[in-house]
Amino acid sequence: MAGCISLFISLQAAYGEEVWRTDFDASCAQSNDAMSLSMPELKKLIERCDGLQRIIEKEEETVRKVFLKRLQMCKNFYVFVLETKMQEQKLK
Amino acid sequence: MRKLFFVVSILLVAVGIAWAQGGLKKKKPLPYEFGSVTINNYSQQAGMPPVMFDHWVHRQNYTCRLCHVDIGFAMTAGATKIRSADNMKGYFCGTCHNGKMVHNNKRIFESCAKEYSREEYKTCAKCHTLERSAAKEDEFYRFSERMPGERFGNKINWELAEEKGLIKPIDFLEKVSSKKASLKVNPDFAIKTKVEGMPDIIFSHKKHTVWNGCELCHPDIFIGVKKGTSKYSMTEIFDSKYCGVCHEKVAFPQTDCQRCHTKPPQG
Repeated sequence: MAGCISLFISLQAAYGEEVWRTDFDASCAQSNDAMSLSMPELKKLIERCDGLQRIIEKEEETVRKVFLKRLQMCKNFYVFVLETKMQEQKLK
Repeated sequence: MRKLFFVVSILLVAVGIAWAQGGLKKKKPLPYEFGSVTINNYSQQAGMPPVMFDHWVHRQNYTCRLCHVDIGFAMTAGATKIRSADNMKGYFCGTCHNGKMVHNNKRIFESCAKEYSREEYKTCAKCHTLERSAAKEDEFYRFSERMPGERFGNKINWELAEEKGLIKPIDFLEKVSSKKASLKVNPDFAIKTKVEGMPDIIFSHKKHTVWNGCELCHPDIFIGVKKGTSKYSMTEIFDSKYCGVCHEKVAFPQTDCQRCHTKPPQG
């Protein structure tokens, strides 16, 4: 019984990680074409990054250290591209 | 006698001033030392020598982006605060140094272990070392002999080495990197110099984005994408800011003026 419970818990944790990891990859994969994304698309990506941050913050220390740093880099880049686009729009 | 005392006093004062201003001239690293980083956040606390990381060993096989974006190593030495536990879980150095990954038909040695025998300590000493081994130095020279030459830094023209197919840096690691669309490379542009007679800089996006991606430089190092947004001087670059984040420590040093100042003055 105890074995079954521990297997269930570990499977659940692995599945949980699988879900946020897929979302992480999908969110950060667009940095190469960020310049061609529209402002609403960039805002959506930034929101996804914020959501992911809350999930990753609950992970264990090393995962937090690695993925929060990676997430910060891609989020900062999207914010930066969005701000650039907003400035350009203001100047027009 | 009084004259001699006066001269000695003047000399002592001059040496004192030079020392107070940051010591004597910085020692120029030798080609095999260039790009070497000492990491000592936790090693000595754990009774191990610090880690001596050589960029030349790694950059022949992997792009800067792969390690500094996908694996998450910071751009400043010691800022990542790597623990052996992180490596053992398969992160940071342990992403590749896990005893399983194979590169060029060679198994990459495991980075850290909780317990190790006297024999296994030889593996620890590959990274944790106080002195550079003669074998490593020899390995560098054997490698650099096959590479196109350069005047400064490692004395290797890495860009040309890749162009000639002598090195093929990997930019994607399964289960580590996020699959991305191929990068649209922005055109090269000229940066006007402030010094009369000095050729303008031709900044090549192509050369930089292939190895670094976008998020490694923007916005942390360069806050603007539009030409002229980030204003900087050579003093700041020499102070390890902007281009100086890489060019001085790992990429070719700034003393190689002609590598960047390439556009001949007009008229």
